[in-house]
Amino acid sequence: MSKKTQKAPEKKPAPRPEPAPKKAVDPRMHPIPLKVEYDDKHTNDFRGDVKEVGFHFAGYEWSSKEQQLLIDLHYDQLYYWKLAELSKMGRGFLDGELWGTQCPRCGDKFFPPRVNCWRLDEELQRTDWVRLEPQGHVHTFTIAGWSGKSSLKRLPFVLAYVVVDGCKTAIANELRGVKPWDPEFKMPVKVVWAPKEERRGVITDFHFEPADGWKPGPMNPEKERIKELCAPVYEWVKTLK
Amino acid sequence: MSRRVCLAGGAATPFDYPMHLEPESMIANCIVETQHDIPDFHLRNLQFMVYSHFSVHFGKQLAPEWIVHDHLGLVGVPHFRIENGGNTGGSALYAAFLAVKSGMFDVIGVAGWETMDNVSQSQGSEFIALASDTRYEALAGGIYPIYYAAMAHKFMKENGLTEEDFALAAVKNRNNAVDNEKSQWYRGEYQQYKRDLTIDDVMKSRLMSYPLKRYDCCLMSRGGAFCLITSEEWAKKHADGRYVVIDGAGLSSCTIRAGDRLNFPGWTEMYGEGYPDMTEFAACRKSGEDAYDMAGIEYDKALKSIDVAEIHDAFSSSEVQIYKALHWCNKDNIREFVREKRTFMGGDLPVNPGGGLMGYGHPVGATGIMSAVECYYQLTDLTPKKHRSSKTYVKNANTGLVNSHAGTGTSISNFIFRRP
Repeated sequence: MSKKTQKAPEKKPAPRPEPAPKKAVDPRMHPIPLKVEYDDKHTNDFRGDVKEVGFHFAGYEWSSKEQQLLIDLHYDQLYYWKLAELSKMGRGFLDGELWGTQCPRCGDKFFPPRVNCWRLDEELQRTDWVRLEPQGHVHTFTIAGWSGKSSLKRLPFVLAYVVVDGCKTAIANELRGVKPWDPEFKMPVKVVWAPKEERRGVITDFHFEPADGWKPGPMNPEKERIKELCAPVYEWVKTLK
Repeated sequence: MSRRVCLAGGAATPFDYPMHLEPESMIANCIVETQHDIPDFHLRNLQFMVYSHFSVHFGKQLAPEWIVHDHLGLVGVPHFRIENGGNTGGSALYAAFLAVKSGMFDVIGVAGWETMDNVSQSQGSEFIALASDTRYEALAGGIYPIYYAAMAHKFMKENGLTEEDFALAAVKNRNNAVDNEKSQWYRGEYQQYKRDLTIDDVMKSRLMSYPLKRYDCCLMSRGGAFCLITSEEWAKKHADGRYVVIDGAGLSSCTIRAGDRLNFPGWTEMYGEGYPDMTEFAACRKSGEDAYDMAGIEYDKALKSIDVAEIHDAFSSSEVQIYKALHWCNKDNIREFVREKRTFMGGDLPVNPGGGLMGYGHPVGATGIMSAVECYYQLTDLTPKKHRSSKTYVKNANTGLVNSHAGTGTSISNFIFRRP
């Protein structure tokens, strides 16, 4: 029998609901602010000449021989990235402080911050914010000779995965203040902040540099090889407008 | 015993950058080519479509599978799209595998493509980097070759390998691709070289991110691929002699940020402290072990049990890392394993005779399907017909492995194919 032909059961009036008892909030839940008003706005500090225009048809190309058409389309989008419960980290970047998180139960410490513990048996224990010492050591690294459009001009650069202040994780960021062929595994590094007026609340507000007193080892065949690989990259970058 | 699932036909378009073919036409072409091999296969057989497409950025088109689907005339047929980074193709195969295994469907089409030539190479690199954690690595200037290089650098040091060892995989796969006229290497740069690529060519190519040079990296491509995942009953009846059985399937996951896997409890409790660090592909090992278990392959006999493999050589270094993750070699013998060219044509386990991502190309959504189709060609003896010669044909291969790989090893699938 089709469901449509079934007679709907008679409805009894629903009893008036009891006022809901005040529920205890599970401390593992992340609070959600009802409303956020930003009173310290820097909306256009770094905007430059970037305009949001959506679809913009820049032109077209036609092949008479192959009868093929190509459209030049530009599209852009301004995003409103809300850091929400990660805001403590972003505020720290603006203030020149490095904040990570730590599980109050197992003690594991994280940067980049994890807002819940990663151990399954901790059942999403919320972590606490902890201020980190702005130092660590290089876990691994590479010398970039090519990158995305926004990073081409600073090639070649060293991207290092650094374990900061005893964290259980490593953070990737640029290692400066060293020739690209000189970094070493396990070398000690320090956090160096961008000038205050250039900070944007993002990971690039800081970079790593060798810890004070660290000196690179002497040139060796591998360093020579990397230097040789970097030479044309330096030349190529000079040709960029 | 639950029913067996088969791959019963498939094809890929040429892969290239640029190439002039819209996604719906790519898939239409692949279906037509599949029908040449499997004349019994009609569009009306398709009960479910699983689409495989990675980045809507490249086409500036959300839900592009809707365009392809109705273009094929398949309105009413259920469909969805799988997106799982570089492992999109492998994950789409996995979804189709589950759907046939469950008994819900007998014939499923898996169709994938990518149109990476819609943007410049450096913009494309940045688009793909949006599949890393954009709040951290991507902002710091990272793109995938850089993340992989950081992992490869430590792997190289800890396993006593050299740049030249990695370069062997780059040379092998590109030179295999010369035998495949659909491959991007053959269609493009090979036309200038007209000779085998050498280790020296790789060593002299431009620095991407140490220790990786340009020829250690895969290609950015436009291309599409299609295959049929069916019940054994359908395959026997309609694709006799032209199907393989999927005897093993594994899918596993790891962290998005490579730096988060140094001490991850989920791994350390499974494989011990210090694993995978940033050097090993734990999700490859786990999904490989799951596929081996399903197919009844003992890990330490995996090398002997597999006759041919199509694996995700996004980078020469990752191909070598995959050898280890799949138990083909270990820290003690990895150098000899690589230097003895065990994975070259004529070696005991030829890898990527189809050209792989470095030779054939890497239009992300199509890639895993292309790998599966190339492996299927080997096990159904279609390779000599599909390739330019029999040079890249692994004769009498009975068991094949297909591997698809995403992120920094963030999602990885492995499949075991066997002749029926």
